[in-house]
Amino acid sequence: MSLAAEAFVSQIAAAEPWPENATLYQPLREDQILLSDCASSLAVQAYLRMLGLPVRVHCRANAEYMSPSGKVPFIHVGNQVVSELGTIVQFTRAKGHSLSDSLDDVQRAEMKAYMELVNNMLLTAEMYIQWCDENTAAEITRPRYSSPYSWPLNHILAYQKQWEVRRKMNAIGWAGKSLEQVYEDVSQCCQALSQRLGTQPFFFNKQPTELDALVFGHLFTILTTRLTSDELMEKVKSYSNLLSFCRRIEQTYFESQDRDSQSGALDFSKGPSLM
Amino acid sequence: MAAPSELFCWKGSWGLPSVDTDSLIVLAYARFAGTPLKVHKISNPWRSPTGSLPALKTKEDGSFSQPSKIIIQLRKQKYNADYDLSAKEGADTLAFISLLEEKLMPALIYALWIDPKNYAEVTRHWHAENICFPLNFFLPSRMQAQQLDRVRLMRGNSTLEAGEEAEKELYSDALECMNLLSQRLGSNRFFFGDSPSSLDAYVFGYLAPLLKIRLPSSKLQQHLTALENLTTFCSNILSLYFPDENQERIGHPASNVQEGSNFDREPYKRRKQLLSVLVAVAAMLGYAFLTGIVAIEHVKEEGLTGNTTSTDLNDEEE
Repeated sequence: MSLAAEAFVSQIAAAEPWPENATLYQPLREDQILLSDCASSLAVQAYLRMLGLPVRVHCRANAEYMSPSGKVPFIHVGNQVVSELGTIVQFTRAKGHSLSDSLDDVQRAEMKAYMELVNNMLLTAEMYIQWCDENTAAEITRPRYSSPYSWPLNHILAYQKQWEVRRKMNAIGWAGKSLEQVYEDVSQCCQALSQRLGTQPFFFNKQPTELDALVFGHLFTILTTRLTSDELMEKVKSYSNLLSFCRRIEQTYFESQDRDSQSGALDFSKGPSLM
Repeated sequence: MAAPSELFCWKGSWGLPSVDTDSLIVLAYARFAGTPLKVHKISNPWRSPTGSLPALKTKEDGSFSQPSKIIIQLRKQKYNADYDLSAKEGADTLAFISLLEEKLMPALIYALWIDPKNYAEVTRHWHAENICFPLNFFLPSRMQAQQLDRVRLMRGNSTLEAGEEAEKELYSDALECMNLLSQRLGSNRFFFGDSPSSLDAYVFGYLAPLLKIRLPSSKLQQHLTALENLTTFCSNILSLYFPDENQERIGHPASNVQEGSNFDREPYKRRKQLLSVLVAVAAMLGYAFLTGIVAIEHVKEEGLTGNTTSTDLNDEEE
């Protein structure tokens, strides 16, 4: 897209208010969605709830193929389709909704850096555990990923995806890591987040930012998802301030709002809650 | 005390201690922490103990090749540049290294290996010149294929190719990353106070090549030179921790500076002068031979038969 066209689109985006019928698409919640996709989807939902923008969650078996970038989740707002948290943050800012405007330059730099830390370490670790740990891949990931498809397509698609993820791990130097080393990385990442959070209610002062949404999405999903082993969950559980951070965001943005809104716009019912 | 570990890394050029980002990171960290290392600057990755560069070879624990692993290993030997950092600063280090890896690394690879003009004129040229004979024919193109593959997988875009679209996408991330780094650094000398840490080594490793290598298409470089605090940060590290590289440059500054301005014209000019002189000499000699040889043979032949023409020739020559 040329620069002029892009500027034009963002002008349109700015002109149109947030519609009531915005939709978020993700894979099927019960049978199909994987840990990493669920985390990303939850992060986007948390972000939009923090902004107070309504969005309806739709589950589609082919969400991955509907998305413009091939990644879930994506949102459909007016006549535009936007995928992934980073782009969605830019999109909402163009519409005049932003969580990070009150930060100064250094804080914004740090916020971006920590968001990349989560993407670089937590998300990659989730992908590694899902697809490269043969136990998890055989018992959970491949059957879930291919659940909507019939034989032989289910096997073809699952192995194709696994092959792709493994090549990526190879390219970024994770292929040589053992499962223990990956858990160690997760632990290091949580340690960094926990240090950064300290005793504050949110990562930057008293206001939530997109970083809070992203961290919540990943940690909450890790804490509430059952895998072949509990080790990943245990790593996160050893940081008490991160646990109470997740609980706080869940209560503020998910439970209370769900109670208030009877419109059915928000159908968020995750598995076991943290309480 | 055991003998120092050995470090294998890419050799330097353009006033850099090494041309490769990962090698630069390790070299800078080792200098910051004051590690005694036996450094081998080589240009043949096959001579490294792990088959890739950089590589650290230790007596006790074998060899390591990723910068993060090498740094952990150096830390185990009690050479820790991050000793003074608080836990929160340690967390910030981790976060900013992730930022560099996710946002700046793809653009850096693009600028050096994928952009067709830069690759042909600078990267391939340098590698072909510096890698030893049979390898230099296929190693550069193999490295390029690997780097392209890496960017494609990192971005999750299997059709990414050199072109405006990819460049715009990667460079906008990289420019944002540089701005963020510049904001974070502010007017400080290093990222955390007055002494350098591992984050400084990483930032230096990513930015110094952009600053020093002269690339034909240089959007990233232009943006970086506009961020003054980052450029002084890099040149500070170069002059403080790698003075020998600088001396090398100061050693023959005249030739370097002049070559900088007249680099393209100077050798061609001389070659042209030499060629024209050679052509002129050849033409004169040819003419002389065409007429002269005949005459000389004439002289010899005439010398055998009679003297009349030989005196004529002598007159002509005089």
